[in-house]
Amino acid sequence: MTDDITVPQGRSVAVPTWSSSLKVLLRADGTSQVRTPQALVINFALPLILLVASGLGKNSAALGGPQFRVSLALTVGLVSIGTIAYSLAIARDRDTGVLQRLRVTPAPTWTIMVSRWMVQLGAVLVMAMVVLVVAALFLGITLPPQDYLFTVLVALLGSAVFLSIGQAIVGLIASAETLNAAGRLLYVPLIALSVFGNTDRLGTTVEMVSRWSPGGCLETLLSAAMGASVWSGQSWGALFASFGYTVLFGVIGIRWFRWVSH
Amino acid sequence: MAGHFGGDALTTTQPNSTALTLALRVSGLRVAYGPKIAVDGIDLEVREGEIYGLLGPNGAGKTSALSAIEGLLRPAAGDIVIGEIDARAHPLQAKARLGVQLQATSFHSSLTLVEIVRLYAGLYGVTLSSSLIRELLGEINLQNEASKRFRELSGGQQQRFSLLIATIHDPALVLLDEPTAGLDPQGRRQLWDRIERFRKEGRSILLTTHSMEEAQAVCDRVAIMDHGKILTVGTPAALIAAHRDDPKVRQAAHGEVTLEDVFIALTGRELRD
Repeated sequence: MTDDITVPQGRSVAVPTWSSSLKVLLRADGTSQVRTPQALVINFALPLILLVASGLGKNSAALGGPQFRVSLALTVGLVSIGTIAYSLAIARDRDTGVLQRLRVTPAPTWTIMVSRWMVQLGAVLVMAMVVLVVAALFLGITLPPQDYLFTVLVALLGSAVFLSIGQAIVGLIASAETLNAAGRLLYVPLIALSVFGNTDRLGTTVEMVSRWSPGGCLETLLSAAMGASVWSGQSWGALFASFGYTVLFGVIGIRWFRWVSH
Repeated sequence: MAGHFGGDALTTTQPNSTALTLALRVSGLRVAYGPKIAVDGIDLEVREGEIYGLLGPNGAGKTSALSAIEGLLRPAAGDIVIGEIDARAHPLQAKARLGVQLQATSFHSSLTLVEIVRLYAGLYGVTLSSSLIRELLGEINLQNEASKRFRELSGGQQQRFSLLIATIHDPALVLLDEPTAGLDPQGRRQLWDRIERFRKEGRSILLTTHSMEEAQAVCDRVAIMDHGKILTVGTPAALIAAHRDDPKVRQAAHGEVTLEDVFIALTGRELRD
């Protein structure tokens, strides 16, 4: 073909910076998070219900003291946000093509995921503060000021652990429906393992497994951060194990992640 | 409509043109899913201001080819040049020049149309005021749906909105994957008008379609693709003329030979997945 045709001129081909892409994605993902009723229930209602309910039973003291109630509520919130809310939201957006639509824009693909992670971290931060405030105002469970800071920092580390587990789940399971079922199945053991790390009622083996599970490590760290136990070799071990879990599940989740479900 | 132009793409040429310039050049493109080869070394060129149709039965490799051009798939081999940008070497720059409407599109389910427009404009570095966004929605007759969610729109409204998002940054090249699938005749005609308007604005369009009527009505040139290869390229009229006397075409034709008869003759009658 040698025919002449007109060349339209003057179209912009500027690529926005990654920071401006991240900013608009954060605004959109944050708005979505706030408007999702299920996310609000999972992020706030469940931890608060547990915070109150864990002090009602006759044998509740056997599981731990008042700080344990707070740390359990935080752990439930973190597991809910990381493994359920995050992975399900990603899987649904993958199924419906939202992620693919974003990928054809000039936004770097990593900004799409980082924005989601940052919104979840924000949700964790708010959840942790709500739990701590409710514990202080209504249950009389107060901490020294510096322990509040440590507790929030540990909660953020815990959210990294459970977000990476959520990432691994969404990386390994293609469909949102399957993931929903698998997430529910995983939810109970993750919470249960967090609880039984503090008691040998089910035997020392269960206690040991529980103590070094992601939830158990988080419990250990929260306990130390809230001053319920002293910072010890076990706390260091839990800290390193938490970093290890984050890296391990994060690598699995990123390595096997697919942007489309089929 | 190109069909109204007598099937010759070049009747749309505007004055002051001096040389053939390409909006898209694809050469030797090969896409594989493991051992399965979806696109087998195709070459195609879309000129500035041209509407180019990629036709083929299900599984022919159209969407895979488009996905590779869009940067959604990493090709096993081949070159993709968008304007003058090597899309494989500079994917973000290439994406900034492209407007894309995917076959199955969805947007953040909790966001309103206004918020979605603002999001995608932002991702292309375009700042739009609220009044301008409403004006844009008005142009596609969605001004009263500005506060609705995407899922609350009808199929035709969703299609119009997706096309608005695809062109929010005034791209030089627009890729449309089966843009009229599921639309009623009114919706289809309206979309053809919009596509034609895009061309008048100087954009180039690469679209895939199953509809021969659409290809004949809208496209300046079409490529018929099957089993990952391009079988033939030309204006709809030229393809019909070239294959008019082919016995397979005559057998497929019911009266006057159409583009669909040529398509069936080239790709066969058996059903595809």
